Amino acid sequence: MSPGFLQHSLLICQFELKRLFSSRKGWLYLITFALVWSFILLYPIRFAADMLGQEKNITSGISFLEFFGFGSLLNWQIPEMGVYWHFALIIFPLLSVMTSADQTCSDRERGTLRFLCLRVSRDSLFFGRFAGMMLVQTLLIFMSLFSTVALAVYRDVNLLSLALNSAMAIAVNLIIVLLPFTAMMAALSATLKSARQATVWAILVWSFLAGIISALSSYLPALDALKILIPGYQMSALSQLAQWQALQLAYIPLLQSVVLLSIGRWVMHRQNL
Amino acid sequence: MKMPMIQCHNLSHLYAGKAALSNVTFELGAGEPIGLVGPNGAGKTTLLSLLCGFLPVTAGALTLFGHKPGASALSGRVSALPQDARLDPAFTIGEQLSFYARLQGLSAKQATNEAIRVLEAVALKDLFKAKPDTLSHGMAKRVAIAQALIGSPELIFLDEPTAGLDPVNTRNIRSIITELSPATTFIISSHDLAELGRLCQQILLLDNGVMSTMQLNASGESSPTRFITVQMESCTAVDVIAKIKPLKGVVRVSTPQKNEFIVEYNPTIEANMDLKILTCIIDNNWQYRQFSQGKTLEEKLFFEEDSES
Repeated sequence: MSPGFLQHSLLICQFELKRLFSSRKGWLYLITFALVWSFILLYPIRFAADMLGQEKNITSGISFLEFFGFGSLLNWQIPEMGVYWHFALIIFPLLSVMTSADQTCSDRERGTLRFLCLRVSRDSLFFGRFAGMMLVQTLLIFMSLFSTVALAVYRDVNLLSLALNSAMAIAVNLIIVLLPFTAMMAALSATLKSARQATVWAILVWSFLAGIISALSSYLPALDALKILIPGYQMSALSQLAQWQALQLAYIPLLQSVVLLSIGRWVMHRQNL
Repeated sequence: MKMPMIQCHNLSHLYAGKAALSNVTFELGAGEPIGLVGPNGAGKTTLLSLLCGFLPVTAGALTLFGHKPGASALSGRVSALPQDARLDPAFTIGEQLSFYARLQGLSAKQATNEAIRVLEAVALKDLFKAKPDTLSHGMAKRVAIAQALIGSPELIFLDEPTAGLDPVNTRNIRSIITELSPATTFIISSHDLAELGRLCQQILLLDNGVMSTMQLNASGESSPTRFITVQMESCTAVDVIAKIKPLKGVVRVSTPQKNEFIVEYNPTIEANMDLKILTCIIDNNWQYRQFSQGKTLEEKLFFEEDSES
């Protein structure tokens, strides 16, 4: 019997994971990712964590970090995890835009999608590739979190259980944060010809949408609510929340993902292969 | 009553405002290979793309085995060699063919065996671990044909299967089609009319987006006259016509191309016209290259009325 939607999506998702580990491009990406994160861990996170440790000992007066607007870092029980959270909120969405830009476009241009669409529905292909990209990013999040936990535990072995709890909270929140970015790239990839075009369009859509909504809301303030549709809209508020509290804003990226995936699916169904 | 394999009703498709297909209606059952011919830009690839689900159907109705093109229910039942489609250069040919087999419902081990089997069918088993960008055009075409054979589908669309292939591989593809028919029905779009004439019993002719059908074996039965096509070695056309035309039963002799003659005759007057013409050739010390009953497919499809002498 022919597999159904879920089985097809799962197989496509697995194949995307295989792409990361079996292709030269995938390995190059992994090595670059590891190098960038090792640099971030060894310098900004380690030094910032040392500084935070000193800040926590200040009992009176205005903290240096609060003065510069980074007071929320003090809410984290393990400084390394707090600094990681702030870095991850900037780096992972950017990586997401770049790595998930080619979900279907180059395969469509090459004609490879035709071979696939003879065997699976467009829905399976679209959602399977999206799930595959999310799986790859989840893996990268866990890899970087694991090394951050190791760094914290290296400093104080008693922090292990606290660090693991923080790591889980960060992982869940980051995965939710990345959903709309990946969905936006899935939608753009379904209609554009190359990953480069998709990345450029993502930046344009991102900045112009924010600009247009801001301009319109100055005439009609009610339109300001539309900003909720811009991926990353909740980021500044999110950076002020620590650990599991950050889930309070999870409804925003989840809503954005549903809207963007619906648009992407609509585009995919109408696209010539 | 058995449901037709393909049901197409009033199918139309526009490309940039121009009609690529216009109210195409036909039904096809399973069986012998079916040829799809027509001039460049006639709408052949558009029709195949609609049948495969590569293009969305915007006007008219189209079903394959009762399902809309591209439906999951057709996975493993319908396959195709799409025009100009290439495999992903990031993976080996074996990995990709095995993956396609898995998508068709085979287990991991069965999928690997199936990939080897189809590559063997196109004589490219050694390329299992090769990357697609190392292949020549002809090899890539054969690999694409191999992917169409995965899981022994009931219906396979082939868009220009022999274009760019050398004669040995053309023959190989022809024998694959012959071996698999009629268990698998092939619909072959091609400009190689000689090839289609060898393989197909039925031809779909598309011209300016409008379709007509032709049964190759039935044309002689409905007509009071029959045809013999003779390809001669270098000779004078006037002499050949002058000698053949007076034979009893000959209605008309035409020369559509240099050294090619089509003799139309009445079989009720002369049943053994082939023997008469051969005798005439021998008596005049002429040499012939090819002698065949009926007209060539090219003549039947495109020059029916133009080549009269």
